[in-house]
Amino acid sequence: MTVVELTQSLNIAAPELALAVGSMVLLMIGVFAPKDSANSTVTGLAVALLIGVLGWMVFFDEQGTAFGGAFVQDAFAYFFKILTLVGSIVALVMSVGFAREEKFDRFEFPILIILATLGMMLMISATSLLSLYMALELQSLALYVIAAINRDSARSTEAGLKYFVLGALSSGMMLYGISLVYGFTGHVGFTEIAAALTGQERSVGLLFGLAFLLTGLAFKISAVPFHMWTPDVYEGAPTPVTAFFAAAPKMAAMAMLVRVVTDAFGTVTGDWQQIIIFISIASMALGAVAAIGQNNIKRLMAYSSIGHMGYALVGLAAGTVAGVQGVLVYMAIYLAMTLGTFAFILAMRRKDEGNVESINDLAGYAQNNPLQATVLTILMFSLAGIPPLAGFWGKWYVFLAAVEAGLYPLAIIGVVASVVGAFYYLRIIKIMWFDEPESKFVSAAGELRLVMGLSGIFVVGFIVFGGPIAAYAENAAKALF
Amino acid sequence: MLLTGLGAAFFYLFAFVAIASAVMVISARNPVHSVLYLILTFFNAAALFILTGAEFLGMILLVVYIGAVAVLFLFVVMMLDVDFASMKRGALDYAPIGAMVGIVLASELLIVLGAQFIGVGQPGSVASPTPDPLTRTNTAALGDIIYTDYIFFFQIAGMVLLVAMIGAIVLTLRPTRPGVKRQNMGKQVARKVEDSIDVVDVETGKGL
Amino acid sequence: MWSMLKQARGFDLMEITISHYLVVSALLLVIGIFGIFLNKKNVIVILMSVELILLAVNLNFVAFSAHLQDMVGQVFALFVLTVAAAEAAIGLAILVVFYRNRGSIAVEDVNMMKG
Repeated sequence: MTVVELTQSLNIAAPELALAVGSMVLLMIGVFAPKDSANSTVTGLAVALLIGVLGWMVFFDEQGTAFGGAFVQDAFAYFFKILTLVGSIVALVMSVGFAREEKFDRFEFPILIILATLGMMLMISATSLLSLYMALELQSLALYVIAAINRDSARSTEAGLKYFVLGALSSGMMLYGISLVYGFTGHVGFTEIAAALTGQERSVGLLFGLAFLLTGLAFKISAVPFHMWTPDVYEGAPTPVTAFFAAAPKMAAMAMLVRVVTDAFGTVTGDWQQIIIFISIASMALGAVAAIGQNNIKRLMAYSSIGHMGYALVGLAAGTVAGVQGVLVYMAIYLAMTLGTFAFILAMRRKDEGNVESINDLAGYAQNNPLQATVLTILMFSLAGIPPLAGFWGKWYVFLAAVEAGLYPLAIIGVVASVVGAFYYLRIIKIMWFDEPESKFVSAAGELRLVMGLSGIFVVGFIVFGGPIAAYAENAAKALF
Repeated sequence: MLLTGLGAAFFYLFAFVAIASAVMVISARNPVHSVLYLILTFFNAAALFILTGAEFLGMILLVVYIGAVAVLFLFVVMMLDVDFASMKRGALDYAPIGAMVGIVLASELLIVLGAQFIGVGQPGSVASPTPDPLTRTNTAALGDIIYTDYIFFFQIAGMVLLVAMIGAIVLTLRPTRPGVKRQNMGKQVARKVEDSIDVVDVETGKGL
Repeated sequence: MWSMLKQARGFDLMEITISHYLVVSALLLVIGIFGIFLNKKNVIVILMSVELILLAVNLNFVAFSAHLQDMVGQVFALFVLTVAAAEAAIGLAILVVFYRNRGSIAVEDVNMMKG
């Protein structure tokens, strides 16, 4: 690699570079700042850094491949990176009040969020199995620590341990798959793999490699049958951390999955399509059924997110530009709805009990705070997929793509699952509006109300400004084909 | 073909010991024995690496893996005072899952043995061809590429290690608790004979 | 028996090919996965099983590297080793804080939350 190539590469990867250098600078600031103000200083600077990078990504459109084809900055990467950054920023902002109350306000927390975000951005841009693995591990290691960050809480460390053990196992399986793919194609770069696969008799070893690889990736987006960790980790981790887990890493892992199967294995669609269809159906079904009995709202959101990943995969199963566009639109809508819902979960706080997590605690929310209850109701309707809210349009795009690709059974199962799944969202609405009121929550912090408001506006207004988002997503999806 | 003759004999020796000790890792009753068997497995795997010509990786496996990671395991096993005997009871309840694993095993053996006719990749069309070991040693050949063509991954590896460092510190480092006695070097060195020894004249039969 | 195999597949016991290496690594992988199920209660042994899985992966990479005459496999194995060391450090740190909170490392005791 010559100096000129290196400079060009660094130029293309400038946002990632800024995050990497910024995290180290913040680490220094955190170490040398006075103890009592270290956390607030570093959190503020971290949010500023992330917003700066987001602004950079929005205003400067520096596309191209870098580092000898291991890293690509294209329209697809831009779309998902912006979503990831939004998820990280909102989760970090929402954590401020909670961290102060629960006494885990340590300055390492925002730094680990930045490092995890860096890993996610590298995952989204990865175009070789080696960069995919390294970026994934950078993200995962940071997430393991973040899950256990409240180290004096038995539940938080337990969540960290469970996440770590299952995550390490899935990484190992994925890596075994990567090694087989490398051995049977002779390459790790996506384009080279795709070239090696065309016109060649596919060996069983390669199919095994692909299956192992998809196993690892399915774990990262918590799709059935590799979802076991999700409810436990969501429940055990501190709530702002759960909000972060439900938002940003999902974006990155989904982007990576889409890029791997369309880029590297785009010529052998039939081989992975069956696996994706199976994972998608199983996730939709489990998400619809298993959440019904849940009483803890964080567990409920875990099953809800499993189901939503299933719906998003319907678009990927179609394997067309319209399908990938559907995935992009779906993920954007999922991000907005999830962050909004978690703002409400963080606001479920009583003076004497602290944060509460049971669904029944929402009883009488409508009498106590009609405005917020209305917004939450709208979000629940959207999660259930009721028109004309955003959640409906997300499902519309993916199901339409599946129908166009001739996958009628998959689309029908998806519609049935969303009807069944609507039940538990409606149950929350019923508890809020019709059950006997419990004592009031303390009034929500300003940043939480802001997130609630923005998310509500997005969900209601999607019918108005959904067009440009869909067009942008289509442009991004075309970058892969 | 990778090896023949004496090399093949050594392959069987190392492979057999590696697998046998891997079995012992998961079945030993005492975790300290598990760690020691893990070291034996790594040692033999390192020998297998060297047989294929990956000398540098073999040495790294010995130095980094056995020297640091395995010893780290040993520290943790010793540090956590756990009643392992009671933990082992009922371990065989999970043996039925062994049947499932057996199926996986059988199918895998099938594919890997099949690999010889379906042709594992075709040498010649690779990204970074191995130079002739007579002109460029394995270590030098690796060094030629990881700091140039693979600098990107090298840097990410640095970030991964940074995360590991921050993570281990943030999770386990505690502010000093009151009442914990720590060594104070300066104080020890500054101690004088007069401060520490009193010569007392004790009268017989009276005591102090 | 062996001579039949030899004729059918060109399989010679004293000629070590890529297949032999793949068999060894497949066995290590299976032992590692089996170890996780067998030692469901003991997190330390589970972590060691994960190390065995990663060792199997590295053996695959090194063998493929030699077979393909390609350095990429060795580079990949080098980075896997680096990441695995980092992963072991984080895993043991989480294990230590878990032990401090619960006084046990048994995974079956990991049941404050119903799965």
